[in-house]
Amino acid sequence: MKMPPFKLHTPSTLDEAFEIVKELRRQNLDYDWIAGGTDLIPNYKWHINTKSDVISLSKIEDLHKISKNHIGAMARLYDISRSPEIHPLIAKSASLVASVMIRRSATLGGNICLDTRCFWFNQSEEWRESIDYCHKCDCGTGADCRVIPNQNTLCVATYQADMAPVLMGLGATIYLASPKGTRSVLIKDFFKLDGITKNILLEDELVTHITFPDDVFEWEGDYQKLTQRDSWDFPEAGVAVLWKKGDKGPSDLRVATTGIESIPRFHSEETQKIIESWSGSDSVEELAESIRKSVKPVLNTWFQPSYRRKMVKVLSRRASKGLLEI
Amino acid sequence: MSNDDEMVGYRQQPGKLPFSRPGSGGKNQFSELRDIQLIPESQGGKKHQPKGDHRHDPLISGTSIGKSTALVDSKWKVTGKANYGDDIRLSNELIGKIVRSPHHYARVLSIDISKAVELEGVIAIATGADAQNSFGVLPVTKDEHAMAIEKTRHKGDLVACVAAIDEITALEAVRLIEVEYEVLDSIHDMRKGLDDSEYPIHDRGQYHIGESNVQKRVFQEFGNIGEMIPNSVANHKSNWLFAGVNHGFTEPHAVVADWDPSGRLTLYTPQQVPHYVHRALADVLEIPMHQINVYRTFVGGGFGGKSDPFPHEMCAAILARKSGRPVRITFDREEVFWVNRGRHPSRIEMDIHADSDGRLCGVQTDALIDGGAFASFGHVTTYYNGVLHTAPYELGAFHYTGARVWTNKPASGAMRGHGAVNSRCAVEVGLDDIAEQLSVDPITLRLANLLPPFSATITGFRITSIGMRECLEKVKKASNWDKKFRQLPLGHGIGIGCGFFISGSGLPIHWDPNKFPHATVHLKIDMDGGVTIHTGAADIGQGSDTVVAQSVAEVLGLPLDMIRVRSRETDTSPVDLGSYSSRVTFMNANAAISAAMEIRKDLLKAASIITETEIEKLVIGDRRIFDKQDPAIGVSYLEALHKAQEDRGALTSSGSYRTPPMGRAHKGAAAGLAPAYSFSAYVAEVKVDMETGQTKVLEVWAAHDCGKALNPLSVKGQIIGSCHMGLGQVLSEEMKYSRGGDLLNPDLLDYKIPSIHEMPKVNPIIVESNDLEGPFGAKEAGEGPLLPILPAVCNAVYDASGIRVNELPITGDRLYKEIEKKCKILKISNPLNLPNPSLIHSDLQTVLESRASKHSERDLERILSEEKTPYHNGALFGMNPEVPGDEQDSRWEIRVIPDDQYLSNPRLAGSAWRHVERRKRND
Repeated sequence: MKMPPFKLHTPSTLDEAFEIVKELRRQNLDYDWIAGGTDLIPNYKWHINTKSDVISLSKIEDLHKISKNHIGAMARLYDISRSPEIHPLIAKSASLVASVMIRRSATLGGNICLDTRCFWFNQSEEWRESIDYCHKCDCGTGADCRVIPNQNTLCVATYQADMAPVLMGLGATIYLASPKGTRSVLIKDFFKLDGITKNILLEDELVTHITFPDDVFEWEGDYQKLTQRDSWDFPEAGVAVLWKKGDKGPSDLRVATTGIESIPRFHSEETQKIIESWSGSDSVEELAESIRKSVKPVLNTWFQPSYRRKMVKVLSRRASKGLLEI
Repeated sequence: MSNDDEMVGYRQQPGKLPFSRPGSGGKNQFSELRDIQLIPESQGGKKHQPKGDHRHDPLISGTSIGKSTALVDSKWKVTGKANYGDDIRLSNELIGKIVRSPHHYARVLSIDISKAVELEGVIAIATGADAQNSFGVLPVTKDEHAMAIEKTRHKGDLVACVAAIDEITALEAVRLIEVEYEVLDSIHDMRKGLDDSEYPIHDRGQYHIGESNVQKRVFQEFGNIGEMIPNSVANHKSNWLFAGVNHGFTEPHAVVADWDPSGRLTLYTPQQVPHYVHRALADVLEIPMHQINVYRTFVGGGFGGKSDPFPHEMCAAILARKSGRPVRITFDREEVFWVNRGRHPSRIEMDIHADSDGRLCGVQTDALIDGGAFASFGHVTTYYNGVLHTAPYELGAFHYTGARVWTNKPASGAMRGHGAVNSRCAVEVGLDDIAEQLSVDPITLRLANLLPPFSATITGFRITSIGMRECLEKVKKASNWDKKFRQLPLGHGIGIGCGFFISGSGLPIHWDPNKFPHATVHLKIDMDGGVTIHTGAADIGQGSDTVVAQSVAEVLGLPLDMIRVRSRETDTSPVDLGSYSSRVTFMNANAAISAAMEIRKDLLKAASIITETEIEKLVIGDRRIFDKQDPAIGVSYLEALHKAQEDRGALTSSGSYRTPPMGRAHKGAAAGLAPAYSFSAYVAEVKVDMETGQTKVLEVWAAHDCGKALNPLSVKGQIIGSCHMGLGQVLSEEMKYSRGGDLLNPDLLDYKIPSIHEMPKVNPIIVESNDLEGPFGAKEAGEGPLLPILPAVCNAVYDASGIRVNELPITGDRLYKEIEKKCKILKISNPLNLPNPSLIHSDLQTVLESRASKHSERDLERILSEEKTPYHNGALFGMNPEVPGDEQDSRWEIRVIPDDQYLSNPRLAGSAWRHVERRKRND
């Protein structure tokens, strides 16, 4: 399987990168940022949304930094998983991604911005052509969604990255940069709409780093994921439950899910109710059930959607185990 | 330099140096004589053989057989020196690419290549019109073409091909070829294949079965069918659904075709069966076979998936002929799934009946298998799904209906454990259920129902050695079965499964075995003393080169590095049927032994002349031939060799193997015949997460009767590898199709082969039953070891969870659905509160135990007695063991055609018999 040829740029500073961007735009060329490449390159091999130019961020030193409340977008998941400085839950989520070889290359930024996945999309060009393409990568055909035809214009491809839920739960802020300047938002507000839009990144914009609030180490919790195999597989469901200890139960509670819908979800409504009337294991059961009810997976990944939905409940319960020990 | 004793010949000229001795090699010129631990007691050694002597015992020189040895080609592989299909680089080569059908089923109306021809760098384009002759692995079902002639039959089917100067240009040319199709209604559900169709996927003319898509159907009744049900006290009934699986070998298909200036074709291909490609190429290209050399490259895994002649091999040859340049075609993983030939998706209905004595009074199997778009090995697979579960147990009756249908999917074919795996799983799970119904231990139930050595199955297969009992006893002990079975907590379980497989298909596909041998091996030894073996057996990683080298080394008393195997080219190797049906060790090693025996005779004769000792007193040790009583009297191997070479030069010899006459005469009697059979028993211990339905296999105890482990290291490797492959099928591997028939996971991320994390600890246990006809006693070890892992895991899942699965793979979502169902039936809300199965032995347990122990004595007696009295299946049911059941009791009559009564209410696959073959219709 041959990748279409592309030109690789390797700037060593952000400014240099943005100069390349401006130059490409002047020439009317399109490009992709590449971080670890563990998702982009397979997609390129399948001729999915390929571009003439690729700008690598790996030589930009500033983006690699890891400290206790800052992680650069280019920090490798392997390094994050072994970092003694950062919150242990971040290290845990990172250690559960794919396989050790992938983690050696894959980055935090890449994982956060991972493209959404679908059986009808992550296929070779010939394969996609045989189904007349799909909404997410229609190659100019105006093709309909193959999962839920004739329904709406939204794409239901699934977001299957592991890092988002814990980062959301820890209240991380994500920093973005583009030739036009920089901005930051809470990571829970970073993801947007559907499997095509995915997040708030604008044209030419990239993720530089994330930071954590001062209270980050007061949060405890767990991340649980569902996969067929213990290695390689993308999460079919993932739940992070985080809490702050109070006198009689949690004083604060956050839940985020991934691998089930087109964007990861921060479940503030469900947790609000629970925290107001905390009653131990019944509350955990109620929480798990409410999370299950709130998610709506579709049939486009390995496991049946009804099963993934039921497993969200089990994962929520398991991630909440520590709550009962308060 | 003058030494009067040496080499003074009559042509020695005065003043010249004497003739030199050919080098005997390095510092290690002294032999180590014989490893006495490896020599059988009967031959004066110390090796104890509880199963008696073997005809090859006198050939044991104590050098190689029975020693763990790295495969002879392993250094090429670990140093990266091994050239696989895609490593072949010829100068001036072109890259070939294939135009594939985007439709499941379509008529090809026109192919417009005009734009592609114009593209710079495109050298040749071919379509179906360039090669009209059909081919196929089995002579009875040649239904494939190099490219579509009229119709494309599955998505990914070949339509045209292009050769260009590089891959990018070839891909662009593929895009520029415009094909006009008329899309036809496609079939994806195998059950639909049983119906009449407006456009059957193939047309077999007067042999077509009605207007249906039934490619092959089988009906067989053996034994006393009438009393199967009335006599039974325990009945198992289940309807299985097995997903199709792919071999998942590491190396994708790759081929290079090159026509040399003399007009001969050399085809470089990682093939398991070079001889069949050789034949198919001659048919398709319309050139004689002697104009073709098939060169087998290193094979990066085959498992049955590289044993058909393939259309892309034809395409490369056609493009090379058209362009006058070498053409290379390498598949990507998706294309591997299009060509497939993996295990058939199957629907198997399994009924097992046992009587009050705990005897298996009947097995009724109905297997509908989904062949995909082509026949491939399917004719055989349809039989194997039935006949390969008529042992190791003695049966009161066996009724089998099987049908293979064409559907618009990539073709199914042969895969490790060909045709036996799915129905074996169903039988062994059924036996677990029968044992539960009878309240007896499932291992005891099996031990009390085994056929003895030197017996015949209900279908007339000739069983020689059988190590089944020992396998069961060993895994029972090693796994601590009695302390665990039905005693582990909910979510933790243990299960047993057995296997039975052919050690070499008894019928060569292309010729009469009475007229032409199954395997032939040539040997050549020149002055240097090294032995060159010419064999056509294809080493596909299983170690066939090593086995043949070891066999020759053993007979001649040489170290392995003095043996070189030339097995790559059809130009230089004798015809061999190839690496399938686990035939190579048994047949090729036997042929190698007889070739080596010729040379051995010459060497002993020469040594006898030099030492003036009688041949009978001489033995061969490590590079030395000497007097048994007085080892000081002897000559080196080289001295004897040079003596033997006097007057004739290099020694050559040829050895061959053919099967003895076997089997019965009914239609289909040849399917499943083999000169020997392997047996295995596995115990698996699993954990089932009751809340998620996910299964983890913790440990496996795997006993396999391979007759004799020629290379124990290799046998253990095959057992562990088989476990991994079988675990894939039972836990996670499946070719997933959408409702519309699209293959959703033609890639190794979504086709889920178990990773190292899923791989349990496997404890391989080698059982040696010492097969009298096997080479040094050996039988197969490459396929049989896969069979038991599936039912062992299924039965362990039952022990852990109380769920009797009937659908593979047992993914979390499938098992959880069953757990939910059970909770609903028992009105239990939390699956962690489900009851798990328990066992209190019934009175039958002691009856079975005493029968098993009696049978154990009977078996040993039969092994050691000189006279092998006949034992036909049925003796356990009071029949005369001397005669087949049907020859002494009309109720045991064999039937191979269904009667009207059956057809009034047939089972699923059996309903294929409702159609009338066209030639038998009155119209």
